[in-house]
Amino acid sequence: ATHISDEAGLRGFSEAMDMWTAFQTKTQGLSQSLSSQLRLILTPTQSTRLSGSFRTGKRLNIKKIIPYIASSYKRDKIWMRRSIPSKRAYQILLCVDDSSSMGDNSSGRLALESLVMVTRALTTLEVGQVGVLGFGTDVFVAHELTEPLASHDAGARILQRFTFDQQGTDMCRLLRTTIDHFAAARLTQAGAATGAEDLWQLALILSDGLVQSKDHARLRPLLRDAMEQRVMVVFIVMDDAASSSSAGVGVRGTSVLELKEARFGPDGIPVIHRYLDSFPFPYYLIVHHLDDLPSALAALLRTWFAEVNS
Amino acid sequence: MEQHTAVAEHGAQVKVTFTTTEEDIQLPEGKRQLLVPADIRRYGLSRILNSESMLDTASIPFDFLVNGSFLHTSLEDYLKANGLSIESSITLQYVRSLTPPIYEASF
Ligand SMILES: [Mg+2]
Repeated sequence: ATHISDEAGLRGFSEAMDMWTAFQTKTQGLSQSLSSQLRLILTPTQSTRLSGSFRTGKRLNIKKIIPYIASSYKRDKIWMRRSIPSKRAYQILLCVDDSSSMGDNSSGRLALESLVMVTRALTTLEVGQVGVLGFGTDVFVAHELTEPLASHDAGARILQRFTFDQQGTDMCRLLRTTIDHFAAARLTQAGAATGAEDLWQLALILSDGLVQSKDHARLRPLLRDAMEQRVMVVFIVMDDAASSSSAGVGVRGTSVLELKEARFGPDGIPVIHRYLDSFPFPYYLIVHHLDDLPSALAALLRTWFAEVNS
Repeated sequence: MEQHTAVAEHGAQVKVTFTTTEEDIQLPEGKRQLLVPADIRRYGLSRILNSESMLDTASIPFDFLVNGSFLHTSLEDYLKANGLSIESSITLQYVRSLTPPIYEASF
């Protein structure tokens, strides 16, 4: 589905431009659907929290009751109110798998179409900065967070970078780089911010989900790190099992949902497990068709915000 | 772009697709793709195919063909010899073996 157009290992600019336009046209409806769903989730108009000390309000603050009685009912600011939500600013990194496993089937194409769709939805929303990273054996910045991403040109320059010929999928390096990138971006943002904004950082990984299983354990502390730094990581597994393999073997691909792995125990007896059983990402969703992505992503983010706010 | 060589680290896995032309030992569709240790050879692959969760055939010795030639090395050596990376998926055609499966065998 994809090929390299010039010696630099980059797709030609005009080809990338055509791709961007084609993907944008194809995903327009989905993009609009995603942006309207995300608007409700990412920009709350009403806070879900009750707080403060007031003479009237919505709910009693239990901690204030005893001082209230002890003060002979003089310290009567015992009510909590719904606070005005603070304005949220987002920094969102879309991390696209550029490894060659993505190019062996149509996962690569699905990832690029999703990238265009999600990027369009986010830029329409104007919720903050959007950046794009590519990863394989190495991590590269395809689009800086601080750069505007509204034009076709900017989009085409991103697509140029993805050729799916990196010879490994180093997810640990991706997470490390993402955390560092966000830490630096938070500092930049803090310098420029008005102070009233609440900064949220979100990484969306678009990948076929094939990570060396021995890395699963190494990823866990990194995911904890991300959580402590208040970086949310969502893994979107591009699972194109429905389409036939382009490798020419004529075998229908197995969905990553059913994919198994074989290991040998110390006794030399093979043991077979479901690959996803050790998959370390707590927030992941599996996308078989592009059409599934808007509601699946919205539902996942809604769940996450509900957990964060509870 | 710099090309990284396909040297598999210890514990690395490769994705394989099993195929066969022998009707009586076909795997169901959902079991044909599998992640296996990259340092696996014919003997280990045979054990996996024979295992309960695969063909459940206990002890048929198998030979494996990759791109029409018999696999005589580990999968990672095969990849290395062919300039392929650990990202590649390998299609393995299995056939009943005419040579007994000896672990110490040179292939
Ligand atoms: Mg890969």
